[in-house]
Amino acid sequence: MIEVLLFFLAAALLLYVILGGADYGAGIIELLPAGALKDEQRQVINRAMGPVWEANHMWLIIIVVILFMGFPPIFLTTMIHLHIPVVALLLGIIVRGTAFTFRHYDAIHAPRSQAIYSRLFGFSSLWSAFWFGVIGSALERGTINPGTLDFHEAYVAPWWGRAPLVMGLFVIAIFTFLASVFLIGETDNAKLKRRFRRIGLAANIAVVLFGGIVFLVARMDGSSLPAEFFSNPLSLTAFICSTLLFGVLWNMARKGSALLVRIVAAGQIALILFGWFAVVGAAPLRTVQGEISFYSAAAPEATVRQLVLALCIGSLLIFPSLIGLLRVFKFR
Amino acid sequence: MDDLLAARLTMATSLGFHIIFAAIGMVMPFFMATSHYLYLKKRVPEDLELTKLWMKGVAILFAVGAVSGTVLSFELGLLWPGFMKYAGPIIGMPFSWEGTAFFLEAVAIGLFLYGWNKMHPWLHWLSGLVVGISGFASGIFVVAANSWMNSPAGFDWVNGEAVNIDPVAAMFNRAWLHQALHMQVAALQAVGFGVAGLHAWLLLKHPSSLIHLRALKIALTFGAFASIIQPFVGHFAAQRVAEFQPLKLAAMEGHFETQRHAPLLLGGLPNVEERVTKWGIPIPGALSFLAFNDVNAEVKGLNDFPRDEWPPVLIVHLAFQVMVGIGTYLAGLGLLYFYLLKKGHFPRSFLRLLIVTAPLGFVAIEAGWIVTEVGRQPWIIYGFLRTKDALTPMPGMQYHFYLFLVVYLTLSAITVWLFRRQLQVAEQNLRSEHQGKNYD
Repeated sequence: MIEVLLFFLAAALLLYVILGGADYGAGIIELLPAGALKDEQRQVINRAMGPVWEANHMWLIIIVVILFMGFPPIFLTTMIHLHIPVVALLLGIIVRGTAFTFRHYDAIHAPRSQAIYSRLFGFSSLWSAFWFGVIGSALERGTINPGTLDFHEAYVAPWWGRAPLVMGLFVIAIFTFLASVFLIGETDNAKLKRRFRRIGLAANIAVVLFGGIVFLVARMDGSSLPAEFFSNPLSLTAFICSTLLFGVLWNMARKGSALLVRIVAAGQIALILFGWFAVVGAAPLRTVQGEISFYSAAAPEATVRQLVLALCIGSLLIFPSLIGLLRVFKFR
Repeated sequence: MDDLLAARLTMATSLGFHIIFAAIGMVMPFFMATSHYLYLKKRVPEDLELTKLWMKGVAILFAVGAVSGTVLSFELGLLWPGFMKYAGPIIGMPFSWEGTAFFLEAVAIGLFLYGWNKMHPWLHWLSGLVVGISGFASGIFVVAANSWMNSPAGFDWVNGEAVNIDPVAAMFNRAWLHQALHMQVAALQAVGFGVAGLHAWLLLKHPSSLIHLRALKIALTFGAFASIIQPFVGHFAAQRVAEFQPLKLAAMEGHFETQRHAPLLLGGLPNVEERVTKWGIPIPGALSFLAFNDVNAEVKGLNDFPRDEWPPVLIVHLAFQVMVGIGTYLAGLGLLYFYLLKKGHFPRSFLRLLIVTAPLGFVAIEAGWIVTEVGRQPWIIYGFLRTKDALTPMPGMQYHFYLFLVVYLTLSAITVWLFRRQLQVAEQNLRSEHQGKNYD
């Protein structure tokens, strides 16, 4: 039963990273200088993200519910010791969601207020993406210390350092990459298409670069993760495939077929996540006192069964309606 | 400010803020579905215009509600990890259903907001209705989770650990039905009168405006109907509380001495030191009757319970008086509305009354939640876990509180400002309509 739950957790995480990630990335792209294309770009992003951003963010709620109902110790240790980065993330989520909506639904479209909304939307997207990386890194660093009473050691040290920093930048690169690939197919303006393609390529290079730095810094910090990653056949294969797809993707992006390019890009990110899951899946939370596995953290059987049931029935309701949503807005 | 107080204030602020947006988010879609239905059936252009006007408001409020709800789902763990440790596996179930319902709501609102002219008109209408239905359902699930804190069920407590967990029994605990009913009806009331107040104000300024008259009727028909049934629902809820949380009932009523033929106090200030409620107007036997349908029934007083288990009596009593007072007033106003509707004319004084009434339903919701939540103190899981034992070990919670206070105040201010701008534009449209100009 726990395996089914883990499958749902992994699926929700994957969908959140890809769909929610593209959403954050769109905000980040708006921060980059666009010159004359600025207004057009804003309209494309409004049109592309408006109908789906709320649904994209529901995956985060699903992840949180699975964690606090199914694996309480993991959720609670995170919430206690990563209180500060989680609050930082929440601030970002509040600002970007409201700024994005307010920009669209402000009855008076004055250039000044629109610019302020856009600025807020952009910076909070960047900010949130960064903190996702920090939190993800902190879970695996093994610096969370449930035994201490010292404020710095308990609530700051777990996420403070160069490893979380570069992980934050890595996530920013991933989200920007996803958004730009997604947006290529959302506009007919050739200039804008070219711009998204260029940003996407740069972001993809940044993904590879920061991915390398993440490993390098982890090694320098004495983490066993890089060794685990490269000695694990699954994650190693995922890593190689993901890198190979890089060439395929940009060859395709030049020729066209927006949908295929999207699928390849999503596949690339899915492979990165898969590789990561293959290594840390056994111990999603590492503390000073040792590793907490999903199995040791799992809630009682009756709870897990109910949660799986809810997720199965929920999927029957959610997926058809999501497909309906995409059919109306994306595959016309 | 100590950490416990700061964490409680944060929770109160977050919930108090979110509940307003949540209530609007689950009720407004029904108003929109009504005006939209009327338009599709009768093709009165004002109905379409009204649907779109409301839709813009809902889009703004829904976004604020969605992000503040996301914050809340994290805050349970950020502030009360000791609670979630036990509660997660036991009452996660309504949360997982809430997540599902909320997800459907988010998909449906995307379809509704952006799907004009892209879908079959009735399918589009249906997506709007689904927003309301799933929003309403998610409200019920969340209240069910809360009700478990008042009436814990679905587990055995052995040596400070919860065992034999039964999530289904936990969700359908003895308090879920009355709490969910009471809240959902209250949301209909608050939003109905709130929206009616807004349109009453616009109607006073533009007496010939058909759109605001129709808006007023739709909102008030929901709101007045809910207000008329709410006293009965509230009575049912009070009886359940009397049965399962007699201490909370005693605090609500400022009732210290256990007695038969217990009086109901109107108003009054409880004095905890002297254990007496002064300056209230007693109605003999009424409390016994309300709690147990029998004027001679014995109603337990606060004195029968250990002092360290009392909630803050003054706050609970006053909040309860405010809620009941407003509920009674709204029920009367609801009856008046149906009377005037039958007569076919709303006098200007009635419209003015509606403007004053607009915020009251929300005040009653806040007061009601203060009764429920403060009335359960010092427990977070009634009878099992005290709030102070659930608090996060992290110090400095007051900064967390200040931070979110600023965030919520700012968001409120911006929301009000955006509404003013929406209305400004809507009014400009009305004016140009009067001048015979074409408007969009």
